[in-house]
Amino acid sequence: MTRYIIRRGLQSLLLMWVATIIGFTVYQLAPGGPLQFLDSDPKKTQADVERLQRLYGLDRSVPVQYMAWAFGEDWLPATPVWRSGRCLSDPDACVHGIIRLDFGRSFHYQGQSVIGLIVERMPATFLLAFSSLFLSVVIGIPLGIISALYRGRWPDNAIRIVTVLLNTVPEWWIGLLLLIILGGYFGLVPLGGMQTIGDGSFWDRLHHLVLPATVSAIGGWIGFSRILRFEMLDVLSQDYVRTAHAKGLAPKTVIIRHVLRNALMPFVTGLGGIFLLVLSGSVLFEIVFAWPGMGRLTIDAINSRDYPLMMALFVISSFLGILGLLMVDILYSVVDPRVSYETKVG
Amino acid sequence: MAERVLTLSQPQIKRNEPVPVAVQSYWGMVRRRLVRDKITMFALGLLIFMVVISLASPWIGTHLLGFDPTSTDLLSRNQPPTWATDAWPLFQSFTQSCQNNAHCDWAQWGHILQRAAAGIGQCFTNGAPCHWMGTDDAGRDVLTRGVYGGRISLRIGVWVAGVSMTLGVLMGLLSGYYATTFIDDIINAIIMTLGSIPLLFLLIILSRIFQPGPEGLAILIGAFGWMGLSRLIRGQIFSVREREYVIAARAIGTPSWRIMVRHVLPNVASIIIVSAVFNIAGAIIAEAGLSYLGVGIGPPLASWGNMMQGSLGNFTDAPWLVITPGIFIFLATLSIYLLGDGLRDALDPTL
Repeated sequence: MTRYIIRRGLQSLLLMWVATIIGFTVYQLAPGGPLQFLDSDPKKTQADVERLQRLYGLDRSVPVQYMAWAFGEDWLPATPVWRSGRCLSDPDACVHGIIRLDFGRSFHYQGQSVIGLIVERMPATFLLAFSSLFLSVVIGIPLGIISALYRGRWPDNAIRIVTVLLNTVPEWWIGLLLLIILGGYFGLVPLGGMQTIGDGSFWDRLHHLVLPATVSAIGGWIGFSRILRFEMLDVLSQDYVRTAHAKGLAPKTVIIRHVLRNALMPFVTGLGGIFLLVLSGSVLFEIVFAWPGMGRLTIDAINSRDYPLMMALFVISSFLGILGLLMVDILYSVVDPRVSYETKVG
Repeated sequence: MAERVLTLSQPQIKRNEPVPVAVQSYWGMVRRRLVRDKITMFALGLLIFMVVISLASPWIGTHLLGFDPTSTDLLSRNQPPTWATDAWPLFQSFTQSCQNNAHCDWAQWGHILQRAAAGIGQCFTNGAPCHWMGTDDAGRDVLTRGVYGGRISLRIGVWVAGVSMTLGVLMGLLSGYYATTFIDDIINAIIMTLGSIPLLFLLIILSRIFQPGPEGLAILIGAFGWMGLSRLIRGQIFSVREREYVIAARAIGTPSWRIMVRHVLPNVASIIIVSAVFNIAGAIIAEAGLSYLGVGIGPPLASWGNMMQGSLGNFTDAPWLVITPGIFIFLATLSIYLLGDGLRDALDPTL
């Protein structure tokens, strides 16, 4: 098992490296270059452009820029070919590279460190993501069990109809609608934000969290209840379930001890996908609910064409996704003794 | 020789006439099943209706609704529906009562409904065009834009399905046929990479950088939506490749591309069709999300997503900006989902 975890860890490192390449390539593809936002400024001069290029290290060749961005430029040879002008005049201002969690400086937020801006927003995103993950498990598991046990009868059909209806509109639209009705007209929930300004109490935060977490959990609980229904039906038709019934165990015991235990195993792998879904969806939900997290920062970065911030947000969210999947796989290998690690990789 | 099928009309057949022989082809069976399925037929009708009103939107806009989707009118910005002009202030005071003293003044609803009904009657009787669903933040008619929006949103849906199906089939066939070679490894690596990064972030950044038109946006969305189908097809090929008819075809020297196209592909046709249909619905929702965030289709073009973007600041004062495009999305994707569900059942020969 240790070998499996090590192999899976190395694979994740490789994926993270690929994510940095994708992020950097996107940055290079930008028409007009990263400093395109200057085009709309009538007062810019050629000297300004050159100064900014030197400041952000854009005066060097593309591979060197990647090396500096990913691995840091303080160890590169001290010549203008390798180091940016900022680095030559002030060695402390050098970028340390993604490898040391330094993503450079933001364009829009006037030279603030990008990683600082992101770390500031991370708790909000995590709070929303994990509470909706929690809610999707809490809602999804019972629904999956009910629809498997009552297969083809009205509870199953009702759950199915609700699922299809929820699938036919964007989830963030449901959020918007509920926000208008519950928040705007009945005043039951706040109209967005993470807390009332000046009031940071637990109940106030919870009050702000309820609607965003519930709505962004919709995709999750639909996914979970589907996986669980499928797995339960699969397990219910196994021989050992019939044996358990035949030897006179109470139906409740059979369901809880034999069926549910085995059906929940593959369910753990679903966690990774749903985590990714929630992370991805955070952009939309954070805009709808004015939630001050990474997704909102992404939209701000995009609207101000802040390329270093955009790249960093993409790379960090990818890292989070890759690490999430890695943790789920490790958890799975610990929980399920039947996984054969040697054949699973590949 | 095709098999004879006993039918109820058989006793009426005269001796010297040839006995009618029903050849039940696969697609004939599918068609018959679909026609019998009422929900699927309803879905098909709804979908055809949505497509027709989208295609006929210029005519509907000028003749039925009386508005142009792009003509702005800064004097009537964020106006409630014309028929609700009188009812809207009452509704607002009702919501005020809910907010302030926590118990709503439900008695007002009688007046609200009365005035709304009177407004609707007026809209029908006097000849002037009505804003049936209000106006947006530039004074454009919301319903007209919704009808026009179908042109963009449905087109993107179809394009995305085309792009992702092509990619999915191609990649699935390649990786299934060249399994355990480096081609399969490369495709698996791509799928794994795309499967472990939050694609919405990448889509947002790419569509902001390139600012594509409808087709470009569809290619972008489609380029990240083929992985599921590719995996499905790869798995199917694994189960098909050891069947007798494939081995027989190989034994008589059929080239491998021909085995792929003639023997393997028809076996996965139903999967491709069903996932294409679901893909259209997913693409409509994805486009709505991107356009809502302001990185997809930009105004003055109308799409169901960017119509909601105008509501960002004032959604409680102008809920029609949110509700109208949502209803259009709901009708379109509901019909597509139900159609896909029906197709899945009809295409499955084991049922």
